[in-house]
Amino acid sequence: MTLRDFTLEGLEQAINRVLAMDPQASAKLGALHGKVICVALAGTGLQLYFVPGADGRLQLLGSIEGEPDCMLTGSPIDLARASDREQSAGQLFGGHVRIEGDNATARHFSEALSELDIDWEEQLSHVTGDIPAHEIGRAIRALLRETKRLNESASENLSEYLTEELRVLPHRYEVEDFLVDVDQLRDDTERLAARIALLEQAESEGDSKA
Amino acid sequence: MADDNERTHFGFRDVDTAEKAGLVRGVFDSVASKYDLMNDLMSFGVHRLWKRFAVELAGVRPGQRILDLASGTGDLADRFAGLAGPDGQVLMTDINAAMLVLGRDRMADRGHVGNLGYVQVDAESLPFPDDTVDLVTIAFGLRNVTDKPRALDAMYRVLKPGGRALVLEFSKPLNKPLEKLYDLYSFRILPKMGELVANDAESYRYLAESIRMHPDQETLKDMMTAAGFERCDVHNLTGGIVAVHRGFKL
Repeated sequence: MTLRDFTLEGLEQAINRVLAMDPQASAKLGALHGKVICVALAGTGLQLYFVPGADGRLQLLGSIEGEPDCMLTGSPIDLARASDREQSAGQLFGGHVRIEGDNATARHFSEALSELDIDWEEQLSHVTGDIPAHEIGRAIRALLRETKRLNESASENLSEYLTEELRVLPHRYEVEDFLVDVDQLRDDTERLAARIALLEQAESEGDSKA
Repeated sequence: MADDNERTHFGFRDVDTAEKAGLVRGVFDSVASKYDLMNDLMSFGVHRLWKRFAVELAGVRPGQRILDLASGTGDLADRFAGLAGPDGQVLMTDINAAMLVLGRDRMADRGHVGNLGYVQVDAESLPFPDDTVDLVTIAFGLRNVTDKPRALDAMYRVLKPGGRALVLEFSKPLNKPLEKLYDLYSFRILPKMGELVANDAESYRYLAESIRMHPDQETLKDMMTAAGFERCDVHNLTGGIVAVHRGFKL
């Protein structure tokens, strides 16, 4: 019994606490009851064994006897991305995360985790009741919107300061004008080159006639 | 033990052999409702790590049949039910009806259905055929069994060849300073905690005493060997306060 068991226990409890908040993910994992999924962290030599129960709770073991049904190998970052909804397809099928063994089990497992969607308002309502939870949820959403707006206006102000006041950065229109000028210059150069080529050709034809 | 075969110990008390099971039942009837809470408090939550360690030693595979004796509120059975999968079978047992009912309710609340069964049995006379289970476990239960060799014999009998038995139980601290500290804790503080939380100091005094009367690491290992178990090994946890004994039927 070591730090390892302590860490596994803590991790297991944390994971299950989160899973308990998403009945759909739990149901998906529950369908994997009887399977053992090994997650190997490349570069660390660490292997973690996830064993879903009938109710979708996961057991986390540091070792098992026998073979797991499937094994997901990747660096911690690749594995974390694989459990991110938007990037998972790229990670799993782009070869960053290697799958061995039962492919379907591995896919279902990572899908269940990547589609974790926690309804915080619902969780809060267990403590506070529905109406206060909704009010708090609305307040938090308003706060997030306001923060986003402030963030956006702050970056606008900064860019304006850098372009208009300090003039260390060019304005967008200046850049566009510059790019148009570059295009014009390139076209002119090409036309000139073409005309020179034409003149040279005409001259050499004149020579041969003479 | 006394030279008189009819006597046994109940904590530090000397009681009639026939009396012990009833006394132990009294203890667990009294503490059942606060059992989980007290376990967490008394061991500072470390009992979860002890059990986790035992589960890894059990090496359960999907499809296995597992007999968990003295299941209590089912901490081990809960894990085994997850590991054994829908094709496996876990039997959760206890001699005490109050504990078993509590454990069954808890398992139902946790959503365990299908691969988990409940039977009230006496570990000394298991009502199961020979060579039928892959794993038999008893966690913090052997201490309370009156005739331990008989219980070990029964465990050996029901195991399939190749199967294994695990005994997770309090044992003897490996060094003196730890033992002193542990004695102070279990005879001074534990009964007080029992009184405050479960309103029952006596039962927790019994717990401390019964631990001292339980065979130490080597003795229990010899008892397992005598019951027929092979390749017996002992894993000390938390400085020997708890030990896991493992033996195979080959």
